[in-house]
Amino acid sequence: MTRQLRVLVGLGVVAGVLMFIYQIRGVLAPFGLAFVLAYVLAPVVDRMEGRGLGRTWCILLVFLIVFVSLGFGVFKAGGKMTGEMVELSDRFLRQEQVDKFFSITNNHKDPLIIEHLEWEDDSEEQPFAVLGGYNWPLEIEAGGELQVKVRFAPRGHSPGKNALLLTLLKGEEVHLHRIEVYGNRKWQFQTGAKAEVEGESGILPAVLSDRVIGFGKAGPNILTALGAIVSEYIQPLIEPFMEEEFNLADFVKEHGQRLAKTMLGGTTVFLGGVVSGLTFVVIVPFVAFFFLKDGHRLTRHAIELVPNAYFELCLNLLHQINRQIGGYIRGQILATSVVSILSIGGLSFISVPYALPLGFLAGLSNMIPFMGPFIGVISATIVALATGGGMILVVKVCVVFLVIQIIDNVLIQPTVVAKSVEMHPLVVVFVLMVGSQLMGIVGMLIAVPLTGILKVSTQTVYEGIRGYRLE
Amino acid sequence: MSSDPFWSNIFRRLSKEETDIYEILKSIPIFQDLSRQDYKKIEGILHRRTWNTDEAIVKEGDPGVGMYIVVSGEVRILQTADDGSQLELATLIDGDFFGEQALLDESPRTASAHASEPSRILGFFRPDLLELIESNPRLGLKIVMRLSQMISARLRQTNHLLKEARLRVKQSEKKLEVVEKTESDGVSDQ
Repeated sequence: MTRQLRVLVGLGVVAGVLMFIYQIRGVLAPFGLAFVLAYVLAPVVDRMEGRGLGRTWCILLVFLIVFVSLGFGVFKAGGKMTGEMVELSDRFLRQEQVDKFFSITNNHKDPLIIEHLEWEDDSEEQPFAVLGGYNWPLEIEAGGELQVKVRFAPRGHSPGKNALLLTLLKGEEVHLHRIEVYGNRKWQFQTGAKAEVEGESGILPAVLSDRVIGFGKAGPNILTALGAIVSEYIQPLIEPFMEEEFNLADFVKEHGQRLAKTMLGGTTVFLGGVVSGLTFVVIVPFVAFFFLKDGHRLTRHAIELVPNAYFELCLNLLHQINRQIGGYIRGQILATSVVSILSIGGLSFISVPYALPLGFLAGLSNMIPFMGPFIGVISATIVALATGGGMILVVKVCVVFLVIQIIDNVLIQPTVVAKSVEMHPLVVVFVLMVGSQLMGIVGMLIAVPLTGILKVSTQTVYEGIRGYRLE
Repeated sequence: MSSDPFWSNIFRRLSKEETDIYEILKSIPIFQDLSRQDYKKIEGILHRRTWNTDEAIVKEGDPGVGMYIVVSGEVRILQTADDGSQLELATLIDGDFFGEQALLDESPRTASAHASEPSRILGFFRPDLLELIESNPRLGLKIVMRLSQMISARLRQTNHLLKEARLRVKQSEKKLEVVEKTESDGVSDQ
């Protein structure tokens, strides 16, 4: 084989492997997590094994300690956090109003008169409305159909319930009918149950398309609230510079919604697919257990397959990569947890709502060089503003994050982050964009550590190979 | 299961190989005076490989990773002289070992090793030794202790050789002086 052909085949194989990995990325997530878990726990297990305990027992003991201690504390906080996270992302994506149609069909020869249509609860605060400005009574001719549009636009996020009262006239007969409407309910009623309105004499004067109408979830959107704040404070500042009429609030809302949909949409899909409880409680510890128990043997068996000529080289590289990646992962996890805990503590101290997911996000995004800290501040500021906190709260948020950044940069970063993983800002931006393209926010968060691992590995391979004279 | 010839064969062969390795390990200075359990642990981190005739095991100049123990076969240790010719330093057979210095540092190999017939060889490598020191410091320390004893013994031997060599150099220098003196005396006499 010529050299070019060999390089081509090699590139093809690499591309194929990458494609395959991308295809099965959902399955890889628990394995990746287990791998990381194994890396974190390995030193502990090794040290315990050195005390003379069997390795299996060491792992079981470590697992027991980790899961019991985390089980109570973090599982509860985790549940709370998932709830808050879903709620928060929902409040970014939430529609402010939901419209639904129902129809009244007259399938008889005689005309049908709708005397009127009114709400059972017709107070000012009730969130339902019939759109269209009808002038009752209305006549539906034989075989005709009337479509009525109903809107659900609540002021809060609490469930709403009402009923439409329909008075139908057919000749001298009066028929009353009731259509129930629901919104923001945890459990949706099945809509579309057809109702045949029976007259007293047994004749059917009309067919209603729905007896119960369930509206989905609706409520004030965080971005609308943000838009209102922006138009109050910033619109007057930029107005003199804009030629045409430009509404900053609409701009923020429109673009924010698109951005939130792209980023949070991917996250929800990812979380829905992978972060199912079963995966996490069963598969991850199971896989991590075997990584810890048989990791050495697995690598030994893998090395046995290597031809004699490259055997020492592979052994050496594997060891160095192992050491570097181990250090990198442990360092990142330490930094992330410290910054997360500090942020959660700081944000709850100044009582910012959703402190748990916001602090966790700040900790995770702290892995991203340059931009990471800003993601934390900006997201917390947005939530603080949109949930009704004033400018004072925003200042407090900034102070909290400033203090955390100082602690991080002075105390944590110098001890944990290896020099070898310094990345050029351009590289960081590029991998962040690729990550967000592929997997949304989760992709952005894992992009930088993944690139770090890749960089450490290639660097080690490159430096390792230099010493050898390959034939 | 023992009545099944297939399985009993496999087990007999395996256990014979295990005792072979056990015997060989016991004869290696750095693994001496270990408990049966310690041997088991060491066996677990050794790499077993086979090399064919004329295949290179280590190449002079490559970074050293660890030591090799010959279980069966024959290995020639070669060094390239300044003029490029191959100098054979030694021939190793069952129970011999080489490359133990690489357990301590990453310095380049000072000689090449080639299998001169199909050879079964055990490899014991620095990364594994370092891990062993982490996970089982007691055993790791024993091995490192033995290793340093061996190397210090070799250093003592080298010192001894150096001393002898110096002595010889001095003696030959003296002889040379005497010869030169007699020659110059002879010249001045004339």
